[in-house]
Amino acid sequence: MTQVLATTVVVASLYALLAAGYVLVYRATRVLNLAQGDMMTLGGYFLFLVAAAVPGQPALSIVTAALFSALAGFVIYRLLMRSMAGHPIFAAVLVTVTLGILLRAAIVLVYTDRIRHPLPLLGLSNPPRRLPGGAVVSTFDLATVGVAAALFLGLFAFLRLSPLGIQMRAAGEKALLAAQRGINFQLLFALSWALAGFAGALAGILYANNVRLDPSLGVLGLKAFAVALVGGLDSLGGVIPGALIVAAVEVLSVRYGDPLLADVSPFLCLLAMLLVRPWGLFGTREELERV
Amino acid sequence: MARPALTLFAALLAVTTTVTPALAQYRIGMSAAITGPASSTYAPTYEAYKAYFKRVNDAGGVNGQKVELTYEDDRGEPQRAAANAKKLAEGSILMVNASTSATYKPFMTESETEKLPLLFGGGVCPREAFPPASPLIFCSTSFGSKWDSRFALGFIKEQAGGKKVKVGFAAQDIPLSRIELEFAEQLAKEMGLEAIPVVVVPGNTPDFTPFAQKLKDAGADWVLSWALWHVEVGVFEALSRIGWQGSYLLYGHQQTQDELARLKAGNLFAFGGNTLFMESLPIHAEIANLVKGQTTHPAHYMAEGWVSAMVLEAGLKKCGWPCPKDKLATALASVSVDTRGLRGGPIEWTADNHYRKNTYYKVYRWDPSKNAIAPVGGWTRLEIK
Repeated sequence: MTQVLATTVVVASLYALLAAGYVLVYRATRVLNLAQGDMMTLGGYFLFLVAAAVPGQPALSIVTAALFSALAGFVIYRLLMRSMAGHPIFAAVLVTVTLGILLRAAIVLVYTDRIRHPLPLLGLSNPPRRLPGGAVVSTFDLATVGVAAALFLGLFAFLRLSPLGIQMRAAGEKALLAAQRGINFQLLFALSWALAGFAGALAGILYANNVRLDPSLGVLGLKAFAVALVGGLDSLGGVIPGALIVAAVEVLSVRYGDPLLADVSPFLCLLAMLLVRPWGLFGTREELERV
Repeated sequence: MARPALTLFAALLAVTTTVTPALAQYRIGMSAAITGPASSTYAPTYEAYKAYFKRVNDAGGVNGQKVELTYEDDRGEPQRAAANAKKLAEGSILMVNASTSATYKPFMTESETEKLPLLFGGGVCPREAFPPASPLIFCSTSFGSKWDSRFALGFIKEQAGGKKVKVGFAAQDIPLSRIELEFAEQLAKEMGLEAIPVVVVPGNTPDFTPFAQKLKDAGADWVLSWALWHVEVGVFEALSRIGWQGSYLLYGHQQTQDELARLKAGNLFAFGGNTLFMESLPIHAEIANLVKGQTTHPAHYMAEGWVSAMVLEAGLKKCGWPCPKDKLATALASVSVDTRGLRGGPIEWTADNHYRKNTYYKVYRWDPSKNAIAPVGGWTRLEIK
């Protein structure tokens, strides 16, 4: 049972990192960024790129890759999404779908479809760790949980305490009013994309070191999308229970039910949530109506 | 108005006349998963074909005729494969499929309709290639359903040395993998091994641990996996992580050499039909020199495609010139190809066996005492009846 619990927390942490990206972009711009999974993959490949260029420098490689991804998110907003302002939301969503396809194609073009493992390039290993209670997880499993916790604490502090974070929340709620008060909401929207890129990259970097790196990792983004909707698309706090619920159902269905259910269980959770509470656990009802 | 029409007609005639000599060559159509989730397994076959027939053509072709290969990417998707099959069947004397089993049906249908020989080179061999073989279906791929399980379980039994062992099975959520390992589960029981029910793993699971935990909790001493590489290895790594002490046997796809060296695990065994390039045979050096700078995958990924291309070249040689499709099918049905060490023996086809008269397997693992990959014994021959 402790192993089930440990695995649930690890999977939930990965989903939470990815889902944070959906929520950050949605809260600020009301756009569902369906390229979030591919931004995770991009982060993993940035790590591979940097680690191949400067082998044996894990800290430098990881930080650079995460910053590259944040920059990529910023640039995507400035070059692509900014021009979608004033267009129907579904058009912006379709742009993100196209973006995801293009990112995947670009990765295949440069790196082919071969499975990569950046860990040896970083000069790191991933030994198992025994937890109290007997459960065993990998070092990068533990890192995933730690990084997710740190990211959420950082985001909560940033959004609630820092002037920029407060401005970001304000711009997300009433962009026009915020603009009238002199807030550069375009910059804040770009920042939310950068943060989403950063969060996705953390997921990609950790996953690439823990499991593998290949261009198809983006499909995990779909499961994390279910997490964001279960928690409430405009609620960062909702991501954590959403991720825990989806991960628990997934892990338990493998352990005690049919392992094939693992693939569909996030969407079963989503379906159940949409039937009972369409705006998610901690989402805002009016937000949904506005969508 | 008549003059432009006449000019257009003349231009078309000129183009047709120009194109005609190009038809005087062996025309082969190939569909492969060059991109897509399964491409790491299949794209090297496409690259090997390109490099191999470039060399053949540079040396004057086969029977004095060039071999013209047309390639289409099907991404391992049946709907793309259906479109490719239609397109490639036009004017080809043979189609090659190097893709996932999901793409087989449209190719086999097209082959049957057009009475066109179809060679599977890189994807798992379909039952139509085994005795009694369909006259148009051929397969050069090293792995073949049922025979792989027969060998694998025999190996496990031999390694157990008379001890009673429990065998678990890690399949992927694709039909072929499940069917094969369900067969293996039954066979294990018949062979006196204790079989744990097959654990089916979704290919895109974020974490293999729950599946590994299931196998560990069931008390598996050995686990056999026959799936795409990332699933085979994903389950093994998760088992290692949770402290499992058993032995793991998987089918060794092209990635084997890289991955055995990466994982350095003495309890991971990879079986397959191709010699690993770490054995440094003369043919390996020859391939490495030829593909240098031509392929995106390393030379040691080329074995599967290289053998297939060797078999096709032998068939074309035997067919002579001109070589219509029916004559090529007859020629292929009696080829015997020396694989020059890439496999454990020759590929010999007969009228009713288009898989091979004998198939050969070898097992490799990381040997901690040598700190290198090492074969576990020599080749094992199985006679295909």
